[in-house]
Amino acid sequence: MNVSTAQQRRVPSQAWGTKGGGRRSSILRPGATPWLMLAPALAAAAILVLLPVLDTLWMSFHDVILYRPRSRPFAGLANYAWALTDPVFWESLRHSLVWIVCAVSLQFALGFAAALLLNRSFAWRGIARALIVVPWALPSVIIGLIWTWMLDFNLGVLNEIGVRLGLLSASIPWLAQPSTAMAGVLLAIVWQGFPFFAVTLLAGLQAIPGELYEAASIDGAGPFGKFRHITLPGLAGVMATALLLRMIWVANSLDLILVMTNGGPGTATQTLPLHAFLTAWSGGNYGHGAALSVLLTLLLLGVVVAYVWRNRA
Amino acid sequence: MKRRDMLTGATAAIATAPLARPYAQKGVTIRWWYHLDDPKATPNEFIAAFEKENPGIHIEAENIPWGGGGDYDNRLYTSIIAGNGPDTSMVKFNNLARLLEMEALSPLDKWIDAWPGKSDITADLWRLHTAPDGKRYYMPLQYVVLYLYVRLDLLAKHNLTPPTTFDEFLTCAKALTGGEQWGFGMRGGSGGHDSWMPFAFGTGARPVKGGFVSPAALAQNRYFIDLMRTHKVCPPSAPTDGFLQIVNNMKAGRTAMAVHHISTANDMANTFGDAITAVVVPRGPDRSGFATFGDGANAVYAASKNQEAAWRWISWLSTGPNNVLYNKAAGQMTVTTSGAANWTLHPKRFVDATVNSLPIAGVLPNLPQTADFTRVVWPQNTQKALLGEITPDAMMQIFEKLFFS
Amino acid sequence: MKRQLRLLRLLGTELPVVAILGFALLPWIWMMLSSFRPDSELTHSPITLIPSQLTLVHHIELLQRTSFIWNLRDSLVVACGAVALGLGLALPAAYAFSRFRFRGRGALRTGFLVINMFPVVMLILPLFVLMRELGLLDTYVALIAGHATFTLPFAIWLLTSYVDGIPQELDQAAMIDGATRLQTLWLVVLPLALPGVVAVGIYLFITSWNEYLFALMLAGRNVRTVTVALQLFIGENQIQWGLLMAGGTLVALPATILFLFAQRQLVGGLTGGAVKG
Repeated sequence: MNVSTAQQRRVPSQAWGTKGGGRRSSILRPGATPWLMLAPALAAAAILVLLPVLDTLWMSFHDVILYRPRSRPFAGLANYAWALTDPVFWESLRHSLVWIVCAVSLQFALGFAAALLLNRSFAWRGIARALIVVPWALPSVIIGLIWTWMLDFNLGVLNEIGVRLGLLSASIPWLAQPSTAMAGVLLAIVWQGFPFFAVTLLAGLQAIPGELYEAASIDGAGPFGKFRHITLPGLAGVMATALLLRMIWVANSLDLILVMTNGGPGTATQTLPLHAFLTAWSGGNYGHGAALSVLLTLLLLGVVVAYVWRNRA
Repeated sequence: MKRRDMLTGATAAIATAPLARPYAQKGVTIRWWYHLDDPKATPNEFIAAFEKENPGIHIEAENIPWGGGGDYDNRLYTSIIAGNGPDTSMVKFNNLARLLEMEALSPLDKWIDAWPGKSDITADLWRLHTAPDGKRYYMPLQYVVLYLYVRLDLLAKHNLTPPTTFDEFLTCAKALTGGEQWGFGMRGGSGGHDSWMPFAFGTGARPVKGGFVSPAALAQNRYFIDLMRTHKVCPPSAPTDGFLQIVNNMKAGRTAMAVHHISTANDMANTFGDAITAVVVPRGPDRSGFATFGDGANAVYAASKNQEAAWRWISWLSTGPNNVLYNKAAGQMTVTTSGAANWTLHPKRFVDATVNSLPIAGVLPNLPQTADFTRVVWPQNTQKALLGEITPDAMMQIFEKLFFS
Repeated sequence: MKRQLRLLRLLGTELPVVAILGFALLPWIWMMLSSFRPDSELTHSPITLIPSQLTLVHHIELLQRTSFIWNLRDSLVVACGAVALGLGLALPAAYAFSRFRFRGRGALRTGFLVINMFPVVMLILPLFVLMRELGLLDTYVALIAGHATFTLPFAIWLLTSYVDGIPQELDQAAMIDGATRLQTLWLVVLPLALPGVVAVGIYLFITSWNEYLFALMLAGRNVRTVTVALQLFIGENQIQWGLLMAGGTLVALPATILFLFAQRQLVGGLTGGAVKG
């Protein structure tokens, strides 16, 4: 980063002209300003998202079968009782926990490493940054099909290479065994999702002033010290938000598992949102699906509330 | 009411004018939803032919993604419920019960009985397409019957001929298993119930109340699961193999036998020539047997304002030469007897296997749960049984409970 | 000295980047390679890594005999619209959340996020009815509105954390000089938050580009995106593997090219020197 770039980016304080005294708008009292700025977003969300969400909540308290549109009797807590007493619910929840923890941590680790590397200067940095988004830019159906094919027992290239290189003693039916199926889908989702962290954290790294690193060098700090005391704190806010958002996204994602294993073999890779999806999409029981969705939301809500509460300052 | 609709429409039209395409105003427009496997194939040719013969009817066809059936069905049901459904569309048997519960279909009896092409479709096919309430809502369009592909060259090496009984099947499968090859490409993934039913119901049991847990069905199901678990004549990937995998494995020579249908016949013939053929699925000792009937039909919706015109379209599609044209695009078998007589789309031996399987063709019960069975309940529980997590008998009890409890 | 530095950079930076890129690109390269192979080679056992023949037939068929080009166009229109609308709605909201402390702020932030925690499949039915009532079925507007709104909470949260990283002293300095809040946002915060805006913009683009459920249910004939088009290659009884590989290879390119240009904004030190004592 050269000096002239910093100068160019400096705040253009003459852009609006000083009108002497000027308007002292809401520096001290928020007043109506934040609400005005939030209004468009709130309106869009209220119409397009809130209403359907309330509808889903309503469905969770009624007996809603898609192909019986005229009969929607009130069911009280029956759907919730069904969900919580169904062993499939608890199994799906367990799989969801494994899924979330493994997927997010691996995506984060790889994405963070990529962000740090892509923040350094080297000649082909632009191309490298552009190419890193390729996995992220593909639709789930393509990703699911290509990974299923690469992991195929009979005709998969990964098994072939693994055997040829001596890494595997024999071809493995990755997606047909409960012991390896989750690993197979995790591989695909880590591949798909790590660019999100790479891009998000790379953008966050740009806000850390270069002077801090220079000052630290003068003070004799090594690369690890700089990382610990400048990079990490500087990135903390963006990192925490990115992790939270990604956790929510991964928790709700079902596209890849749907395409690759449909929750199988058996129910070995069935996570909670997939269970809700199949209950509604295949079984036609939207009441049950809605109850499952609400329960999943409540679980995620717990995590989010804890995060917001900790950072309420 | 009308004025409000007009205003809403006008506002929307103005708002979206540069973004929406204008609709035809003359005559009657019929919206028809379909799904064709080959995206390069379009119905434009036969729509043009139909419109020429029937001026005043314009067909607006929309290709809906299949998505294993779930995408197509949910799009259809949601549109019908919201009042925006098509006039007519392609449908499957496992839509029938749900559509009837939604009171969405129009019975076609009065039109069918007055239709000249009625006799060109066999009584067996009409029987299969009749709803449980005795009325006919479905117009036959295409069908397949599942048969068994066998590699004659590999069988010949062991001096074997294509199996006709289940004992012979096991013998052949065992003989053809070894090294990187397996005797039978079992399909445990979603949709695999089609190739399982010939086994489960092959000795006389039927998918009716009590049928899933009858001694014959239980024994046959155990035999099926044992193919994988005990005799190991199936590749280890079988539990989650779908149609793509079993077809590719056959073509790659990794498996020697597989249950599928005529839409892959040309592909197989191109790969192996005369070394591959198809035979009727194995049958029980008293010549009982079950060949899964794969259906495809059109239906007219009760909410349509142009049911007569919709009927004209779907009956045209099911008339001799037109039906042949359609099935060329779809890669399936024509439903008309006249069309089948000179059928040249597939090699004769595959057509013979299909036709010879018709007498033992059968379908799942027409209940609302059937769709869920084919997409979730069958794959999940069969996979568990194949992996030893539940017993084969437990699997059949779950099915019985799903359909008939 | 210079050579040592060069070697250090090669081993410490460029080599790891190549490794990570290798992981990221090899499946896509495998897909691209497959798209140039004839059908017969795709089911050959044992599999051949290097193709023995190459063919352009899948690409030609994709471009000439399917509607793929028009689907790419539809996806581009929807994605660009979603980015524009999404950023337009999210930026002021993020600014509000970042700069102000008002009653209900925490609840509102959480509330935004909660409504995005519902699986979209449950929301499709009421949304379908709503779009039908508004006469917006099968239009670009429906998809743009749907995509922008459903990515709003994530966009707002991400942008808020980026705006948080810009010192509030700059805002106050600008307002002392007579700027309104909006002017501050547009002239001070936005230029400094550009990396964040780029990251969120790419996130919005990619999310809209890959979205399937809305495109399936709310559109279809006049507006057909690539995700729906690719799904049409997967039939009931066969999969058009060659077309799928060709289409899948091409579909990753627009976002990649877009980011190639956008990533130029990701240069560091934007706030350095802005606040002088």
